[in-house]
Amino acid sequence: MKIICLLKFVPDVDSFEYDYEKNVLVRENVKQLLNPDDACALGFALRLKKTNPDIEIEAVTMAPHSVRKFMEDILRRRVDKGTLISDPLFAGSDTLSTSLILGTYLKQTPYDVILTGSQTLDGDTAQVPAQIAEFLRVSYISGITKIDEQSFLQGSPQVEVDTENHTDIYELTFPSLLAVRRESKYRLPFVRFADLESDVSEQLQIIDNHTLNIPPDKIGLKGSPTRVIKTYPQTYEYKEKIIVQNDAEGIETVYCFLKEKGYIK
Amino acid sequence: MTKEQILDKLNDMLTADQVNTDADDLYDASADRYKKYAKAKKVLDNPLPTAIVYPKNTDEVKELLMFCNEEKINVIPRSGKTATEGGLENWKELSLVIDGKNLNRILKIDTYNMQATVQSGVPLQQLEDELRKLGYTTGHSPQSKPVAQYGGLVSTRSIGQFSTLYGGIEDMVVGLECVFPDGHVCRIKNVPRRAGGPDIRHIAIGNEGTLCYITEVTVKIFKYFPENNLFYGYLIKDVPTGIKVLREVFVNGYRPSVARVYSEEDAHQHFYHFHEGKCVLIFMAEGVKPIADACGQGIEEAVEKFKDGIIKKVDSSLIEDWFNHLNWSQKDIDDEVQEMINNDRHSGYTTEISADWETIPQIYENVIHRIRTEFKQADDLIMLGGHSSHSYLNGTNMYFVYQYNINCEPEDEFRMYHHPIQTIIVEETLKLGGSMCHHHGIGKYRNQWTKEEHGSAYYMLEKLKETFDPNGIMSFGNIFYQEEGAKFQK
Amino acid sequence: MKKCLIFLEKEYENFCVSLLKAAEEMYGSHFQSYALSLNADLTQAENFFDEIITVSDEKVRCYDTHSIACVMEELHTLYAFDSILILATHFGRMLAPSLSMRLNTGLVADVTEIKRHPDKIEMIRPAFSGKLLAGIVNTQGNLIMMSIRPGIFLYENAVPKCTNIRNYQPKNISVSQIKHISRKDKPASKDIRESDILISGGGGILEDFDLIDKLAEQLGGMKAASRKVVDSGKADRNIQVGQSGKIVHPRLYIALGIYGALQHVAGLNHVEHIISVNTNKNAPMCSLADIVVEGDAKTFILNLIKRIQQG
Repeated sequence: MKIICLLKFVPDVDSFEYDYEKNVLVRENVKQLLNPDDACALGFALRLKKTNPDIEIEAVTMAPHSVRKFMEDILRRRVDKGTLISDPLFAGSDTLSTSLILGTYLKQTPYDVILTGSQTLDGDTAQVPAQIAEFLRVSYISGITKIDEQSFLQGSPQVEVDTENHTDIYELTFPSLLAVRRESKYRLPFVRFADLESDVSEQLQIIDNHTLNIPPDKIGLKGSPTRVIKTYPQTYEYKEKIIVQNDAEGIETVYCFLKEKGYIK
Repeated sequence: MTKEQILDKLNDMLTADQVNTDADDLYDASADRYKKYAKAKKVLDNPLPTAIVYPKNTDEVKELLMFCNEEKINVIPRSGKTATEGGLENWKELSLVIDGKNLNRILKIDTYNMQATVQSGVPLQQLEDELRKLGYTTGHSPQSKPVAQYGGLVSTRSIGQFSTLYGGIEDMVVGLECVFPDGHVCRIKNVPRRAGGPDIRHIAIGNEGTLCYITEVTVKIFKYFPENNLFYGYLIKDVPTGIKVLREVFVNGYRPSVARVYSEEDAHQHFYHFHEGKCVLIFMAEGVKPIADACGQGIEEAVEKFKDGIIKKVDSSLIEDWFNHLNWSQKDIDDEVQEMINNDRHSGYTTEISADWETIPQIYENVIHRIRTEFKQADDLIMLGGHSSHSYLNGTNMYFVYQYNINCEPEDEFRMYHHPIQTIIVEETLKLGGSMCHHHGIGKYRNQWTKEEHGSAYYMLEKLKETFDPNGIMSFGNIFYQEEGAKFQK
Repeated sequence: MKKCLIFLEKEYENFCVSLLKAAEEMYGSHFQSYALSLNADLTQAENFFDEIITVSDEKVRCYDTHSIACVMEELHTLYAFDSILILATHFGRMLAPSLSMRLNTGLVADVTEIKRHPDKIEMIRPAFSGKLLAGIVNTQGNLIMMSIRPGIFLYENAVPKCTNIRNYQPKNISVSQIKHISRKDKPASKDIRESDILISGGGGILEDFDLIDKLAEQLGGMKAASRKVVDSGKADRNIQVGQSGKIVHPRLYIALGIYGALQHVAGLNHVEHIISVNTNKNAPMCSLADIVVEGDAKTFILNLIKRIQQG
């Protein structure tokens, strides 16, 4: 069985700092990490491979060359193959172009199933997996919190999906694209101490648009139908601390605060 | 001998409740808090000790040691179980943990001669509680006070939070009883001072279980005047400024019971509610009122002298409040285990070193720089800092404190994080002539530098080992480097 | 006149109707409104739209994005919509991107605000976990597509319309290999990590810890505890907040008699508002609070409940 895991390396949004004086988000020097949902998808694949060594796992990402070291780190976790799709022409692609690029690669690559995360930490649009599934015309479901291993191995995975009010079980048939949520808690194993320095360069392929051959007017900033024209900072304020006594006046202050912030209807 | 034969023999020597072979307890006894994460995650690969035994008196200790000496079975003396440097870790297939929990009697409290005698399994907290009822204190207060027992406290050369007034354990022990592998019982009598040759107390104090088993200790006691306590806290510019103020206080002869400087990062752990991102300097003066007051005045004068580096004074009630919440107990240890199991993280590690006044700031700077630039997992650090908390006439200590996100499998954790960081701290300290361990003991993971720590004086240490433990059965791997144990370190 | 299509999802009919407000923001009050329904409750949507298009073909299943995207593509060919709005529910967030790929159109997710410029529509959405807002335009083609979270837009004072309901028989449906097997309703939240409001007690309310239930009930929140309370046996470990307990992110955290050691505070992640009630205003917990009430937690609970009940 061949599993492709689609991965994205994202900035750790929690480590962004806010410059109150300039009223901007400081985005420099922010740590990159593997998108948590994607990590769970890969975690599931590796967990399955442990008991089924025949499974072949390929990790695919579209990113600048700078993520090479992250991909190597992924390969050191016993992933068979890594593909880094990278071309300056791709810079500035919105979700539709990104899906076109990834989809074009996937169309020329054999696989049984594609696993990825439901949404990303940075964009949080949840669009790319659905667009790729539509592009490839494979069955698709997102928001997965559990995959039944037995049926997965047989090519018709039963998956549990948590939505707002319900827990549903769906059955898909390969080829499929399954988008997993971090609540699934499929843990991505770490690189073992002994593998920290191992050379995995042979397993990593880097491909650009020469290979994919997508018309340049379909990709990058130019090929993207949506464009960010402006960013607005969220307005943060320093908290003014109020100290009150435990008397009628104090209780009134608390009450009004709760009311004003909508905690008391 | 096989494990079964050893157990048979133990059952002849002791009663059933004195021999413990419970699987969980043996697992617990195979390592200490140095490998706390792997231990909590149940992935330790250390050999299990054959049994844990609980002798009830010196004679039983003697019998057990002689048996092990004869049969070449490794012995791990234990009491309290708060070791952090691998001192209680097992590296041998055949091993006996001799736990002092039944040596639990306070033998004498003598308030006229100001000394108390206890068996080695008496918890420090218990003696302290008894003394407080009488208006006295042991003066010894390591964070592990509620759990630690006298055997461990003495054999590791422990120190407490009020050491600058009361001293370390070596300043408190006036006499003791210990048993050597050949069964010889030594009693060192309790006298105020002597000039009868070298001070042999120091062969037992700090031996880390490598020479003898301590069965009884007599310590000094002190009058206790909490009503006179004075608290001082300051936000300061940097660590070197704080060190200068500490030095000023001590070289002028004052003896505050607490004198500490915290780096910004470490201050955050303790004083996040008032430190404003700055380093913190704190003092506590105690004793009879005229002495406490004079000490307080000395502190204020020292602060005044270095006022350029002082940002502001902190309300002393905040410092007092903090002292009242300095609780650390078995519950904290258990909680951390839960945290490791549930959340894949722990509260970090520490490494403690010492050096003279002029060297300490340099070591601090070098260590922080090297960790930030050389340590491969530096990105995972969520806290790296330190504090000086034990000062002397000629210098002080530095307690490096570090915490990190654990991005590795539990089996690899100490190799990926704690050990490489500790290595940098030890190397930088030895390079500048400091001591690589101030109060935790060498344990098993700093033994590769013991020779370097002592230099030409290592000769004396080595000869002690050869003489008192010729069969090498005592705490294999502690203090003295062992090639055979390297596989557990690397 | 501009034409706007809204996907009407079962169980979310009211929220879907509210998307008409977003259309209003783009076009003013004059536009043609269409809704597509597979199995929605039409009584909740009637009189809001000009036209409701219903599809009842067993091949088109309400969880199969492909088949619905096919239908919508056919409808778009027929009607040539200017905008398609989809509610950002779990399913909507799968459907919208599928359709955008099928129509080869840009899509903006989770729009929170719309700005109308003379020559373009600017859609604003949060980015980087809401740390930044991005204003986005569609630069290609005439169709605007966006998804919008439930409750962002409120559609009030609607003028009732005479709704034309028509059934549409799709021509060319491709379906995907997916079957719905079963459905369970989720039990009500029992985990303090899922509560928006936490009333948490510490050493200062140990004796009257159960009193917190009453306040929690009044505020529709859950009870939590510091380690001290859990240690004393008054509360179960599964409601403990802190490093050795749970890491919580409620909007409101009321700390009653909690000292606030770093180990406790480490359990608070992105809490919007904190109220700290403590007899010791120097307690570290108070340094983090929006409001510090200096005093006894028990009295505070009783007084606040009384005040809430007065309304």
